[in-house]
Amino acid sequence: MTYRSTLPCAAFLLIGVLALAPVRAAAQAASPTKAKAAARSWTPPKTPWGDPDLQGVYSNKTITPFERPAQFAGKAELDDDEIATLERQAADRSVDNRTAKGTEADVTSAYNEFWWDRGKKVTTTRSSLVIDPPDGRVPPLTPEAQQRAAEEWKQPIYRGGGANGRGTDWATDRSLFERCITRGLPGAMSPSAYNNNYRIVQSPGYVAIQIEMLGGTRIIPTDGGSHVTASLRQYMGDSRGHWEGHTLVVETTNFTNRALYRGAAENLKLIERFTKVDPNTLEYQFTVIDPTTFARPWSASVPYLRTDEQLFEYACHEGNYGMEGILSGARFEEARKR
Amino acid sequence: MTTTRLSFACAASVAAVLAASAPIRAHHSFAAEFDAEQPITLRGTVTRVEWINPHTWIHINVKDPDGNVVEWMIEGGTPNTLLRRGVDKNSVPAGLEVIVDGYRAKNGTNRANGRDITLPGGRKLFLGSSGTGAPADGRDPGEKK
Repeated sequence: MTYRSTLPCAAFLLIGVLALAPVRAAAQAASPTKAKAAARSWTPPKTPWGDPDLQGVYSNKTITPFERPAQFAGKAELDDDEIATLERQAADRSVDNRTAKGTEADVTSAYNEFWWDRGKKVTTTRSSLVIDPPDGRVPPLTPEAQQRAAEEWKQPIYRGGGANGRGTDWATDRSLFERCITRGLPGAMSPSAYNNNYRIVQSPGYVAIQIEMLGGTRIIPTDGGSHVTASLRQYMGDSRGHWEGHTLVVETTNFTNRALYRGAAENLKLIERFTKVDPNTLEYQFTVIDPTTFARPWSASVPYLRTDEQLFEYACHEGNYGMEGILSGARFEEARKR
Repeated sequence: MTTTRLSFACAASVAAVLAASAPIRAHHSFAAEFDAEQPITLRGTVTRVEWINPHTWIHINVKDPDGNVVEWMIEGGTPNTLLRRGVDKNSVPAGLEVIVDGYRAKNGTNRANGRDITLPGGRKLFLGSSGTGAPADGRDPGEKK
């Protein structure tokens, strides 16, 4: 197997191509044209049984915005100066925010940066992870989806909190993420504030993706078979894969009405494409298709960069005192207002 | 402290993004758990560390104005991230004196989030010095002005 199950803790002693991953990311950012040319000329390796070999440990942490910010309207690609500015602005904001002590925003920030692991740099020269529509913005919700969202707010327990639950009557009002259950899809494949590592392992007929944030492993058959019966619904849906050239294409349906992703739930059809574009980069693209939620399908592309880090267990229920603090805090505030 | 130096070396080049500007958040809502109207500063002694998911908790003993010892719990980062920064459960030994800046829990218990944790000499616990992702606050004698 080419995949390395564990690496020694003394990661700084590692030499070779794995250790160069961060440098490569920076090089890509500095020289997009060169990187694209290299990607075209590179042929990804194959497993002993002949499938494209995607195996390894990757991180998708990035400061690249998910949607294109207003400051880059009309500009899909950033130049070197803009990237440097973006990274510098991020650092500057970190300092400025110290003055915000005593505000809701500061509490939401929670910690200084040492506690976080969001990444330090952009990981693409694009101005957003969203690549379609061309404006880099997620399409607006359909009127039907807006209505659904309004009702969800009235009945948070019915929806089990979904992705956005903010009620405080009981734990089921809170989001599935806060409840340590799942981020759903494609949420679980998207960058977070920490635990952004993924491990891919393959065997003939299957690709397994171990996810550090909240734990769990997706086991995706690659035989191109059909989905389970429509009445069987799961938070992570039902994923079926097949190979198109060097690319693993995965279609996921059969979501529950609770694993909300930006308002999409049981009608979501997710198409994911995994392509190794150079020795250190797995390009992860996904397309969200749900006419009941979005006026048109939309797509994002997230670089997964090879890392020499390990995955650690994230046993989220182990000591989720935060949930207790949120609910008891709400009771305390109610009593105070009476 | 070896771990502090190591974490400083690893993190020295960090150009940090602050949560206020980033679209991504912690696993749970701090704004729902902690009270923006109750910023607090606690000076205490570490008694133990709960090295648990989804977030670590540091227990400290704090003397109240009457001289009574009161136990406080401080919510910290996730163990996975801390381990990657060279910090493990032995990095914060019992008996260590710390100053905690944070926000008190809304439920009125002696819990707070650990926005900043500083040693009495001004050195930031976990951070070693400035340039490590900690916004400058003038407390650390080593930080750039």
